[in-house]
Amino acid sequence: MLTINKLKASIGDSEILKGLDLTIGPGEVHAIMGPNGSGKSTLASVLAGREDYAVTGGKVDFLGMELLEMDATARARSGLFLAFQYPVEIPGVSNINFMRAALNGKRAHEGLEPIAGKAFLELVKEKASLVELDGRLRNRSVNEGFSGGEKKRNEIFQMAMLEPKLAVLDETDSGLDIDALRIVANGVNSMRSPERSFLVITHYQRLLDYIVPDFVHVLVDGRIVRTGGKELALELEERGYDWIKEAVTS
Amino acid sequence: MSVGAKTTPALGPQTIRQHAASQKQGLAHVSHLSEILSFENESNDVIGALLKELAVPHRRTERWKYSPIAGFWKKHKPATCVTIADSNCEAQPVPGLDAYRLVFVNGTFDPLASDLPIAAGVVCMPLSDAVRSGIVQREISSVEKSEWFAALNGQFAGEGMYLAVEKAVELDRPVLIHQRQQGAGVPTFLRHVIELGAQSQAQVVNWSSASSDASGSVNTLTEVHVGEQAVFTLDKVQDESGEVHHLAFEAVDQAANSTFKIHTMTIQGAWVRNDLQICLSGQGCDAHLNGIFLPTAKEFVDNHTTVDHREAHCTSSESYKGILYGQSTGVFNGKVFVRPDAQQTNAYQQNANILGSRQATMNAKPELEIYADDVKCSHGCTIGQFDDEALFYARSRGIGEDEAKAMLVHAFIGDVIESIAIPEVAMEVRHRLSEKHNWDRWDDANLL
Amino acid sequence: MAYDGKDKVLEEVTAKAYEFGFTTDIESDKAPAGLNEDIIRMISAKKNEPDWMLKTRLEAFEVWKTMEEPEWPHLSYTQPDYQAMSYYAAPKQKKKLNSLDEVDPELLRTMDKLGISMEEQKRLSGVAVDFVMDSVSVATSFKAKLGELGIIFCSMSDAVQEHPELIKKYMGSVVPTRDNFFSALNAAVFTDGSFCYIPKGVKCPMELSTYFRINESGTGQFERTLVVADVGSYVSYLEGCTAPQRDENQLHAAVVELVALDNAEIKYSTVQNWYPGDADGKGGIFNFVTKRGICHTRAKISWTQVETGSAVTWKYPSCILKGDYSVGEFYSVAVTNNAQQADTGTKMIHIGRNTHSTIISKGISSGRSQNSYRGLVQIMPSAENARNFSQCDSLLMTDTSGAHTFPYIEVKNPSAKVEHEATTSKIGEDQIFYCLQRGIDAEQAISLIVNGYAKDVLNQLPMEFAVEAQKLLAISLEGSVG
Repeated sequence: MLTINKLKASIGDSEILKGLDLTIGPGEVHAIMGPNGSGKSTLASVLAGREDYAVTGGKVDFLGMELLEMDATARARSGLFLAFQYPVEIPGVSNINFMRAALNGKRAHEGLEPIAGKAFLELVKEKASLVELDGRLRNRSVNEGFSGGEKKRNEIFQMAMLEPKLAVLDETDSGLDIDALRIVANGVNSMRSPERSFLVITHYQRLLDYIVPDFVHVLVDGRIVRTGGKELALELEERGYDWIKEAVTS
Repeated sequence: MSVGAKTTPALGPQTIRQHAASQKQGLAHVSHLSEILSFENESNDVIGALLKELAVPHRRTERWKYSPIAGFWKKHKPATCVTIADSNCEAQPVPGLDAYRLVFVNGTFDPLASDLPIAAGVVCMPLSDAVRSGIVQREISSVEKSEWFAALNGQFAGEGMYLAVEKAVELDRPVLIHQRQQGAGVPTFLRHVIELGAQSQAQVVNWSSASSDASGSVNTLTEVHVGEQAVFTLDKVQDESGEVHHLAFEAVDQAANSTFKIHTMTIQGAWVRNDLQICLSGQGCDAHLNGIFLPTAKEFVDNHTTVDHREAHCTSSESYKGILYGQSTGVFNGKVFVRPDAQQTNAYQQNANILGSRQATMNAKPELEIYADDVKCSHGCTIGQFDDEALFYARSRGIGEDEAKAMLVHAFIGDVIESIAIPEVAMEVRHRLSEKHNWDRWDDANLL
Repeated sequence: MAYDGKDKVLEEVTAKAYEFGFTTDIESDKAPAGLNEDIIRMISAKKNEPDWMLKTRLEAFEVWKTMEEPEWPHLSYTQPDYQAMSYYAAPKQKKKLNSLDEVDPELLRTMDKLGISMEEQKRLSGVAVDFVMDSVSVATSFKAKLGELGIIFCSMSDAVQEHPELIKKYMGSVVPTRDNFFSALNAAVFTDGSFCYIPKGVKCPMELSTYFRINESGTGQFERTLVVADVGSYVSYLEGCTAPQRDENQLHAAVVELVALDNAEIKYSTVQNWYPGDADGKGGIFNFVTKRGICHTRAKISWTQVETGSAVTWKYPSCILKGDYSVGEFYSVAVTNNAQQADTGTKMIHIGRNTHSTIISKGISSGRSQNSYRGLVQIMPSAENARNFSQCDSLLMTDTSGAHTFPYIEVKNPSAKVEHEATTSKIGEDQIFYCLQRGIDAEQAISLIVNGYAKDVLNQLPMEFAVEAQKLLAISLEGSVG
């Protein structure tokens, strides 16, 4: 699915990712944990193609394609989805229209006709129920005036609509209360399948109680320094990150 | 002192048409003043030409649209009083303020009433002395090249304060300039030149007062250069009785990472116009412009401000608040100008006004002129009356109407007064306002 | 700067030519260049006008000669040579037309190209259309049907002949001759335009629409529109404009007057797409237009404009809120690209008690264009409890364009409440990236974001216009983000 090989990226003069390796197979759920400033969100942005970051080295293979050669739109249409840590507000553009443009963009990429109005609305209804996104939010402007939890649910709704092959969830748990967290996690879990992979970026273990990962990676200072099963997350929760940092430096 | 001009768009459309009758009137005024004032400027030729070339403001001049200037053309006469001792007025108008002091009466420096700073790294003296001794060169500022009345100042202003603070020097006390206008029909021209070296720090209070029989005109031009990383605050207090026409220009040039704060407090004045032109000429500058005006009767108060963002990463914030009583008229014209190179500019401007009487008028023109794209600029302007709900609420608790209004006034302008850096000045402004408006309970209101 | 791919896409689309840049090869009757009394007499004679009309014109010409072209707008252009242009150009007609069938087929083809085939319009939308080409109204549809309701909808020339009492009473009552340089010029040389009268209590059952087109070269267009809504009536009026692509600057100096009598409502919508000149700023229309309406008691006038065309725009659709409880609204989207310049906004003059006005202005600047909002809110001493809310936002698409806001607020009554807000910002890179990540390409992302930004205004347009306006916005801005 995804193979990251010695990825290096920087913003301005500071290097953030310093040779990161990661392989994700089909159907797998990987979690990346790490202290603040370790490069978690940078990794998500670089994978999605945000051009504020300069990629200075390494390769990323996504379904046999050179991911780093593709622009952000092409990556999205090929099945890479990023759930934003801070979803963006677009005043005046309704959620529905936004999704329709996105879905039709993807369909055009796949050589399909634009989706018919009725079929689209049915799809919206079906997917929105996954994350309990009510009609009011569907018709409002994209993320405008949404609460933190509503924004995150909207991200998962969009993911469900676009049915990506690889979904990167960037700190989707931040700012969520326990009910919202459960709703978001249910949405994600209902989409788990042997063909679809997830990369869950989080600072806290809590989310992983709900979205149970196959692998947990610890990112420190731009590199993955330890990989384990879900029990590694629990250990981090208990002991913090310092012991790992020390273990790495010594 | 002047900054190298860059090839950037001019500040707005510059085509100001001359108006034959106004030109004639203006030039007649110039010769009238020449007869009265003995002082003649040396760079007479250049200024003389500017006085002919520049359009004398008239009703259709955009920048003077709301400012009637007929009062300036009245007959003037030479001052008879030139010392504070003869003027029946305190030399130091701010009780309890420990400050250096320069006193000017009708535009003449009063050495006996003054107390000049003597400290290492600080030069402070009357401008005429500074010019005579060659410390400062007579230069024509950009505002003189664009505004006729500023050119008029260039022609006739021979006195004022010269203050230079050397690199990294912090002036230990504020400098208070007290300009006193005394008697009928006196034309006063003052020119202050303030130069702050890099990393230096200074506070100036510019206080103007007038006798109740005072009339005539005051024309002040203050040139300020704030060096790199320097911090400068200028508190202007205008408390003039009588019928004086007061016109003040502040031309401020800020170098990189400098901070400039100006407060313009108009307590009283028959006709007052403040024209601030702030140039942010280096990166990382910070400018704050605050003001209050509470005219009564037929008073006229006009605040024009221009903040010229020339370089990137500068911030400016501006808050002007007016309450207009009687048949008074207020004007606010604030322009934020962002040049093409001034990316990442953050500019905020707020003008809030309350019309406190049926006959009062407020004219506001908040402007944004923006030529860079990566900017955050906003302005807000409101004109309304006292909040009836709040008034009623206070009254239902047994508070009298006037008192309740005084409370609301304080709530409205309090933040601007509190932002004055020198507490004694803030206190005195409060005191004078409550005297003018009979707010006995001001201090109580303050506690609420 | 990010998104190179996007730049490329946009560059390609910018190159897209002005869609309406064709000319129509119709024999035309054109006056020699220059402006003098004889020309005015000629225009008046051509139109077979009564003496009072000629007198009005000549007086206006005298006034105009004493006036100067305004210099206060934030615009820079070479003033037109008023003696070098022709003041009358009419598609040559053998006789007065009685029905659409008699219209020159070439002219009908022009209308087809503009997407306003009369037949089509009749059939599909039931919009009554007046079509003004090079100063002269060539066809008015639906006249008879409207006539049954007592609605008069005809060309100005016909109105002068057939309804002189209404014209005498209302023409110049809202925009007097000496109001400004261009209104005086228009009063002297106007050649045609539309006239509309809605009788008492009548709700006009269809949108009335005028399409303006400048076809001939070397001419100016000086049309005059007058809409009178009598007591308790309602009308929605649409106006569209196009012009062929020419290297020269052509002048359009129109006057629009609206009169809303007690309890009447006029909704006036404009989609202005005059030729904006080429990417280098060569050619294009100078659009110097005076539009003003007067509201009597409880009347309402609502101006909605989508301005995408013209090389230079000078235009302030205004409301005089004379009657108590009258309402004025102004909704505007002004887009400038390449070398275009716009200085546009509104005036809300509050005279009556309890008058309300709303101003929503959305400026979008791209290329190296300059886009200014200029507006006046004036509360007179008599306007007890007047309310105004203004929101003026500017969106900058490039670092070479400019966005400016010049609001004038004059309040002479303490019971008034006036609020003005303005913001200027850049199109959000984070918004664009969010769209890209969802698989929406750059071009579509910009179109979505801009349409969202302008939504408050677009929502005010009648349905069939709104769709056209949205497309126009997208076309005008393609190639914008740098």
